[in-house]
Amino acid sequence: MKTSVENVADLCESSEDNCKKFIDRIIKTNREVFMMSSLLDKQMCGYDLIKEIFSRCDVFLSQGAVYPVLYTLEGEGLLHAEYSKGDMRSKKYSLTLSGRKVAEKDVEDFAKALEQVSLLLKR
Amino acid sequence: MLKNTINGLDKILFDEIPKGSVILVTGAEGTLKSGLVFSMMTNYIAANDEHGLYVTLEQNVESHLRNMNSLGIKEEGGLHIFDYRDMRLEWMDSDLDLIKTTEEVIDSYKEKYDNLTLFALDSLNALYSISENGNMRNKIYNFFSHLRDEDLTSFLIMESAQSRISGQFSQFHQIEHFLADGTIELGMIEGKGGVKRYIQILKMRATKHAMEKHQLTVNDNGINILGPIY
Repeated sequence: MKTSVENVADLCESSEDNCKKFIDRIIKTNREVFMMSSLLDKQMCGYDLIKEIFSRCDVFLSQGAVYPVLYTLEGEGLLHAEYSKGDMRSKKYSLTLSGRKVAEKDVEDFAKALEQVSLLLKR
Repeated sequence: MLKNTINGLDKILFDEIPKGSVILVTGAEGTLKSGLVFSMMTNYIAANDEHGLYVTLEQNVESHLRNMNSLGIKEEGGLHIFDYRDMRLEWMDSDLDLIKTTEEVIDSYKEKYDNLTLFALDSLNALYSISENGNMRNKIYNFFSHLRDEDLTSFLIMESAQSRISGQFSQFHQIEHFLADGTIELGMIEGKGGVKRYIQILKMRATKHAMEKHQLTVNDNGINILGPIY
């Protein structure tokens, strides 16, 4: 028989898990924003991006979800790709001028949207 | 309509291929498997406001496009070509489940383009050779199901000569042919006039088609299907 303290602990843990599940879903669905946001600071390859988002958000974006987005954004002229000098093993992506504008606006709009959703839920 | 995408294809395909069909395109090397599929897809995309995805495991995008250009087949904006070069350079093969990853790649493009209706994988042999063999029959079954669930008309290229030589993949062949809605065989045949390429539809569910081998040629205008070879 569990004590009430243990039950509360279980509830907190389950709430944490639930919260993690929602964060996971939000980041995966909106990975383009998170990827572009990461690229605001420095140029990265697909591997770096997956690692960065995992260490920052504790969410693993699969390779099949990340590389198509990189190629599409590159095709749309929002990213520039180049192989590192002396290292043909990784193609580094950076934001183009128009990509930076889109990324900054998307990050701002996304944060606003999350705030609004949060307010809606608290009513 | 797919049957109008290659000059002369209507000689062997009398009805339209049903949407969401999964078709195997088999043949030995040099029989124009990639060229035929890519040509069908670019011509279809050019004539319709739809998108397609061509996944190449054997070559990178640049070398694939060079080969296609040499056959007189031009790139089409709505046909997205995806290769695994960067992924395979940055990750260990053991970190990649390429069948699952291919499904995720499809999902990503489908998410971006609602009207993604065509898919090609070049080739199944390459997918097998760099995938873990464990439970492969189930993985193939699920992969085919995934393509159908996404309502994609899909072309899976499979080099048959390699598979005949190597017994490694033979166990999977039965299941592919059994699961596929259609099989198009490409080959070469030696006759009086020398070696000729041919195309033959071995199976196409819910579609009337010719059974004979027809000659396949390539010129500056791309791929053409001529009359039957007897």
